Amino acid sequence: MMKTLIAKEIRTNILSFRFLASFVILFVVVAVTALVLAGDYTKKLDEYSQRQAEIDSYLRSYAHFNRIQNVLQATQPPIPFQALVRGLTADVNMGEFDDDPLPVMFPLIDLTFIVTILVSLIALILSYDAVCGEKEDGTLKLMLANGLARSKIILAKFAGGVLTLLGPFLVSVAAGMLIILLHPRVNWSGADWGALGLIVVGAVLYISVFYLIGVLISSVHKASSSSIMTSLFVWVLLVLVIPNLSPYVASFFARAPSRIKVSRETSRLTDVDRDDLGRKLEREYRAEVLKQYPVLATRLSEAEVKRRVAEDPEYRKAYEEDRAAGQKAWDDANRIQNAKAKVLTDDLHQKEKAQTELARSISMASPLADFSYLATDMSSTGIRNILHFGQLSELWDHAFGDYATRKMADMKAKDPTADLSNTPIDMTDAPRFRYTEEGLGGRVKAAMPPFAVLLGYCVVLFAAAYVAFIRYDAR
Amino acid sequence: MTWTIARKEIASNLLSYKFFIVLLLIVLLVATSLFIMHKNYKQRMADYQTIRPKPGEPIALVAPNPLSIFAKGLEDAITRSFEIDLTGVTVRAGQASGNVIYSFFPAPDFLYVVRVVLSLVALLFGFDQVSREREQGTLKLLLGSSVSRAKVLAGKWIGNFLSLSVPFLLVTLLGAAVLFLDPDVHFSSGRLGRLGLILALSLLYLGFFLSLGMLVSALTRRAATSIIVLLFIWALFVFIIPNLGTLAARQFVSVPSVRALSEKRQQTWTREVVVSIKDGAWGDHFRAISSENDKLDNDYRLRFERLVRLSRDINRISPAASLLDAASEVAGTGIGEESRIKGEVVRYKDSIIDKLIADQGSGKRDVQYPAFTYAPRPLAEIFAGGALFDTAWLVFFNILSFTLAYVAFVRYDVR
Repeated sequence: MMKTLIAKEIRTNILSFRFLASFVILFVVVAVTALVLAGDYTKKLDEYSQRQAEIDSYLRSYAHFNRIQNVLQATQPPIPFQALVRGLTADVNMGEFDDDPLPVMFPLIDLTFIVTILVSLIALILSYDAVCGEKEDGTLKLMLANGLARSKIILAKFAGGVLTLLGPFLVSVAAGMLIILLHPRVNWSGADWGALGLIVVGAVLYISVFYLIGVLISSVHKASSSSIMTSLFVWVLLVLVIPNLSPYVASFFARAPSRIKVSRETSRLTDVDRDDLGRKLEREYRAEVLKQYPVLATRLSEAEVKRRVAEDPEYRKAYEEDRAAGQKAWDDANRIQNAKAKVLTDDLHQKEKAQTELARSISMASPLADFSYLATDMSSTGIRNILHFGQLSELWDHAFGDYATRKMADMKAKDPTADLSNTPIDMTDAPRFRYTEEGLGGRVKAAMPPFAVLLGYCVVLFAAAYVAFIRYDAR
Repeated sequence: MTWTIARKEIASNLLSYKFFIVLLLIVLLVATSLFIMHKNYKQRMADYQTIRPKPGEPIALVAPNPLSIFAKGLEDAITRSFEIDLTGVTVRAGQASGNVIYSFFPAPDFLYVVRVVLSLVALLFGFDQVSREREQGTLKLLLGSSVSRAKVLAGKWIGNFLSLSVPFLLVTLLGAAVLFLDPDVHFSSGRLGRLGLILALSLLYLGFFLSLGMLVSALTRRAATSIIVLLFIWALFVFIIPNLGTLAARQFVSVPSVRALSEKRQQTWTREVVVSIKDGAWGDHFRAISSENDKLDNDYRLRFERLVRLSRDINRISPAASLLDAASEVAGTGIGEESRIKGEVVRYKDSIIDKLIADQGSGKRDVQYPAFTYAPRPLAEIFAGGALFDTAWLVFFNILSFTLAYVAFVRYDVR
């Protein structure tokens, strides 16, 4: 009997105008989006390799240790998944003078957006009259008079509806996949396809949530004209309002200090104040050395110093002590000032982290936010990837630091008088930052909580729809 | 007669479940949005007080704009702290950049509520105007009493527009009045006028969606079909066209990415510093950094403006984009304002950079520099820069959709 009921549900849906309209719209939008995004991705790829080439050519002419970390920064390359899911990859960069304001005004459209806004709307359009429509047509009475259990009817409604919806959705996603497969420059790995599979599973859950909301609302209303109003109301709140309010609400409850103030203070601590302290310590430390080695008191020209270092071992020792004292002064100054700055930034980061987590928790009341987090984390374009990228760049920072120490030691061995930080040096053997996406395991782990919330929504909503339908007056 | 029909529409709306839901939505959303954005404004104002430059500090900082409560736009980018130093402009961004959740979802300001939610509400008022009356059989009666179809349609439009706009305006004005009670939120008369303009633009926008609803309703036989068609058109206008349009524009105008520019700036800076250590003429090198950055910036600005123009032209297919552009520019939080403030910051930097380099060279500390002053763009400039076109465009959309609705209604089969 279930089979007949589900088949009937699917048949009535497929033949309806709303199904046809949804199918066409979804198909066209997914295909156009995949095409535009794939084009955008290849453009970004070209730009990225051009930027890397520029850095290489810069290193060939001006490599030195003092400020090179500014040029050799870890940057996120475009990843192939951006041809379907954009997540947080928009190039807004508020910390730069030339920020890009367009994505703030007009958020980018991608598969996540299509699922969260368009498909959820379609799910509601198909389900808002699931029960009350049958009542209005008079078919509900007939069904119940035939001795069908209400639980079977509601289950068939849900299963048949979601199955019909899956048709257009999967076909559209397949169209997007086809565009990616056929695109000569978008190469997806096995992990990417696996992630897409899981995103589709998440989307099915998300669709089910909204279908169930429609079924539930339709079984508390007598007329479908009022059921659609309530459905749209709920949809607006869940999709368009709760997620958008969440970061603002969180910022009222979990305050963070002014970012600009902290950033100004830390940069003063590690710049002007550091220089003052460094100069002071240098004077003190070198005065000590001078007491031990009075030979340093006579000022010599640079060439003379070089000559004496090479010839006179006694002078060489004194010279090296003096340099070490200078170095120690600046190292100490750096350490002390960095520790002071770290206290401030740690506090800021901790508070901002608490705020972000609160915002995330609040927003997770909305299925839209759940699916957004799930899809962006699975596709390495979300919060998880920001953390992952941070870890990678930290590792690379250490590797580069080790490399710099080694190289500088070599330089010093060759010529003790060399200016270690500002002398041009060959850096072709320096470790370069390589971005690799996080393995699928970690991404799945990150996507579990939103996944669970969606599943929980499904169960609760189904139970509620069932209860409401049991109590439904079929007259 | 038109007025009688309008009154009948209002009366039947007042009693309907639809009106109840709509009223709930308007009150809930407008009030919440104003409340939240007001608190956010106060927070930013408190931050502004702690980061305000001391007299003489070479820092360009603009105070938060109270109109950002209504249209947040690029306010976060505009109120960043632009600090002038040897290497040019160092930018520090405020709180919004510390919480990544902000970048997931657009700001729920008044403009967002109007653009996204109230447009949907306007459609709900229009979608069944013709088809429902036909289904109920009242359309026959109405036309049987020899009223012209034009009058019927005009009466319906006026009645429904009033049912929508009166609660909307009441709630908004009430919310605004509560805002004015707060002494921290200071609205000058100029800003009040701008707020009025934003409200007028919003009404134009809602009027268009109402006519659109009536148009589709006059093209379909059943209200259920009409709402589905309308929901898709709505999604297309409000989300898909504007968001896909900017991406499409990027395919035609090539603009370097933010990262590319910042890498170029870093390269210039480190290169000049390294060379200056060798030859000692470091003042010249810092001047070179400044002028090279200006060149980079000019080139970028030209390209970016071309991109903005093209994406605006593509996006204008949708009235939602026109509203967003016009209203945020009028509020002083739009793309035009942001790019102007950046131009002003560059000019400010150029006016003091020589002195700054000389002072640093001679080791002077705590030098006083002239303060940065910024006056928002006057309305005339904003309107000439595109807002006038957007307004006219919205009016055109209104006339077009109403005319088409009339044509469709005249040809409508009442049976």
